[in-house]
Amino acid sequence: MSTVRIGVFICECGPNIKNAVDLDGLSRFARGLDNVVVAERFALLCSLEGKDTLAKEIQRHRLTRVVIAACSPKEHEHTFKQVMAQAGLNSFLLQIANIREQCAWVISDKTRATQKAQAILEAAVNRVARHEPLEIREIACLPDVVVVGAGMAGISAALTLAQKDRKVHLVEKAPCIGGKVARYEDLFPNLECASCVLDPLLDAVLHHPNIQLWTLSEVKNVLGYFGNYTVEIITKARHVDLQTCIGCGACVEVCPVSVQNEYNEGLDTRKAVYLPYPGALPNLAAIDETHCLRWQSQDCESCQQACPFGSIDYQETDRNMSLKAGAVVIATGFDLFDVTKAPQYGYGKIDNIYTALEFERLVNANGPTQGKLILKDGRVPESIVLIHCVGSRTPRYHQHCSGVCCSYLFKFAHQIRKKIPDATITSLYTDMCLPGKEAQPFSDKIAQKTGLKKIRIKDPAAVTITQDHGRPRVTYTDACDASKSVVADMVVLAPAITGTKDASSLGTLFDIPLGGSGFFVEEQTSLAPVSTPIEGVFVAGCAQGPKEIQAAVSQGQAAAGKILSQLVPGQKRALEAMTAAVDTELCSGCKICLGLCPYKAIVFDDTQQVAGIEEVLCRGCGICAATCPSGAISARHFTDAQLGAEIESLARHTGRENRS
Amino acid sequence: MTNDFEPIIVGFLCNWCSYEGADAAGRARQCYPSNLRVIRVMCSGRVDPQFVFQAFKQGADGVLILGCHPGDCHYKDGNRQALKRYTLIKSMLDAFGIEQDRLRLDWISAAEQEKFVQVVSEMTERVRQLGPLMPRANPLKKLDSNRSTRIENDMRFLQRKHKKISTKARKIESTK
Ligand code: FES
Repeated sequence: MSTVRIGVFICECGPNIKNAVDLDGLSRFARGLDNVVVAERFALLCSLEGKDTLAKEIQRHRLTRVVIAACSPKEHEHTFKQVMAQAGLNSFLLQIANIREQCAWVISDKTRATQKAQAILEAAVNRVARHEPLEIREIACLPDVVVVGAGMAGISAALTLAQKDRKVHLVEKAPCIGGKVARYEDLFPNLECASCVLDPLLDAVLHHPNIQLWTLSEVKNVLGYFGNYTVEIITKARHVDLQTCIGCGACVEVCPVSVQNEYNEGLDTRKAVYLPYPGALPNLAAIDETHCLRWQSQDCESCQQACPFGSIDYQETDRNMSLKAGAVVIATGFDLFDVTKAPQYGYGKIDNIYTALEFERLVNANGPTQGKLILKDGRVPESIVLIHCVGSRTPRYHQHCSGVCCSYLFKFAHQIRKKIPDATITSLYTDMCLPGKEAQPFSDKIAQKTGLKKIRIKDPAAVTITQDHGRPRVTYTDACDASKSVVADMVVLAPAITGTKDASSLGTLFDIPLGGSGFFVEEQTSLAPVSTPIEGVFVAGCAQGPKEIQAAVSQGQAAAGKILSQLVPGQKRALEAMTAAVDTELCSGCKICLGLCPYKAIVFDDTQQVAGIEEVLCRGCGICAATCPSGAISARHFTDAQLGAEIESLARHTGRENRS
Repeated sequence: MTNDFEPIIVGFLCNWCSYEGADAAGRARQCYPSNLRVIRVMCSGRVDPQFVFQAFKQGADGVLILGCHPGDCHYKDGNRQALKRYTLIKSMLDAFGIEQDRLRLDWISAAEQEKFVQVVSEMTERVRQLGPLMPRANPLKKLDSNRSTRIENDMRFLQRKHKKISTKARKIESTK
């Protein structure tokens, strides 16, 4: 240890530390500590002159380690690390003694403050003597990105990311893109036609030279780390040639099979070879193997014979693809709360009760009724009830407020009024949630124009729907606790927005936790809303939480922005230096650490029967080091010896007398 | 009864929430007992049970472990590991004649300066009442003589109980 030369620099921090701690006493005390060759006080170390003097002092005294007694390491550790590097020292040979936040600012008695400062300083000196220089390694990164989900958020991310030197793989489960929004008629708040707004965007995606679209595809596995991910996907066979199909629909006409059309929310049927809905992009047919007769061992060839371009290919098989990318954006959107789980609404049992998504299709010109708002029996409804908060804001199902339903129910009122000028429209709500600069004026205008009758009910669950001569009867408890009811021709429910059904399997693949209601958990709610606990994997849109289109687009673009700034083509990425390390001599191969690592950064070598650290994945939490029964794992910069030195100094130190 | 005993409390604070919370208390100039001596760790999950025993052995009268609230750990669930170990250590303290109250685990977020001050004050007061750990040399002697054998064996045993380990691994372990 003879070469250890520690310099202690004490910052007065203006009056902050100077007035609270006896700094001359502290300097004297420091000079008496092991390995300390110089201990001085300075007016303001973080100032330009301060840093300059510091660098010079380091060189003048040929220091090998430095302790700075000043403010919290959170404030200026970074600053002083740079000075270390300037002075030619490894920046990890520094220790900050926090004598401001931990001492000067919280102890009014100067003697006590000085005693505690001495303890903190001694611990820092003894710790730094055990520091080791660490190397910050850099790895090459792939600039390409995989975006999972081609809804609003995914498309926004993809279009923001795709550029020269950067390819985007857009992976979509459905045969078409645009997500749920592409199946709406009008958009809040300007009531512009959805496809007019969306189609140019979707076209841009389809024709972008740097966006590779993978429809009918799902993520099967994920390997690697930020900068070097391999995303394995499976692409279902479409059985239709992408290059020659023009979406003419000749195949659809002749197909003898008829199944429920999920793209119209099951409100009508489609064929086994189908175009999801008129106007779906890309405009290509697809064969659905689960229903096509050929996969039920029958001999049908109708579509192949009908296709004028020879685009039908029965031999095509599912393909497994490996996509390489530096980062991933998860934008898998939402599902609606399954209202059959709340039998009080009679949904699925009583006719003419629709969910919001079904209603979107009913009023859509490309929908099952070509936009005619009619009842099951073809009559035009005379009375329609809109019900807010179905399965949301209740401890029974989902506690959250989806935040967009109030707005879209006003949009529905507008659409109903446009189609049926004299229908009575009633809405049953508990509280109106109309945040932002658009929603309130939008709803006021529509309420006035449509003559919407708003009834405030006691709580979201205070509604029951029964059958009354074939029509839905809505019984509710109003805000004054009176039980009332209304019979309507049609009821539209606004179910809670939840994460998608396959979110949990995706979460497991990416190792991202899901919160309540199936949404992906962001890294930090307020400050890192599109980051996840896994570096290089971002989440955007309704996959992160319920939100309106504008917010989903913002998140898609935000995730893209994060990636653009972190994965610059040709630039390397610095790795965490404070990682764990395994001493294979000591490792007993007990595997306890394997299951505890939050990042799966510990690998097990089966031949040697020892654990090892995957350094690119390790984030340096030290959980493994604390757990290893053999003491074989050390946490760099937080080693047992370093922390032990601190413990010893702090536990023993009283300032006046030595208790040991 | 007045008591002028000034205990030493060693605190392990996680870098992301609790250390921030302590800094916030400082920025707000909230005075609190000077008895706490802080060691910054990246995560409360880094706190090895040995650290706690070492602190007691070397003179601490109390040990505080502070981490992020459940669900907020910067490393997903390091604090859950901390909680598991804490229960483990607590159950072992008795064996060494150390009062359980000398060890406390709590969750402090970066914003909870008030809670931080409250926890530190309570802990200091409690340990002050318990009196110094040092003069009753007994438990510490026990700690000393047993440090490398007894504690480690107990720890291993208990950890094994937590995780089922293959007999093979255990064999390798015992031959070491
Ligand atoms: S980072 Fe605070 S407890 Fe894990």
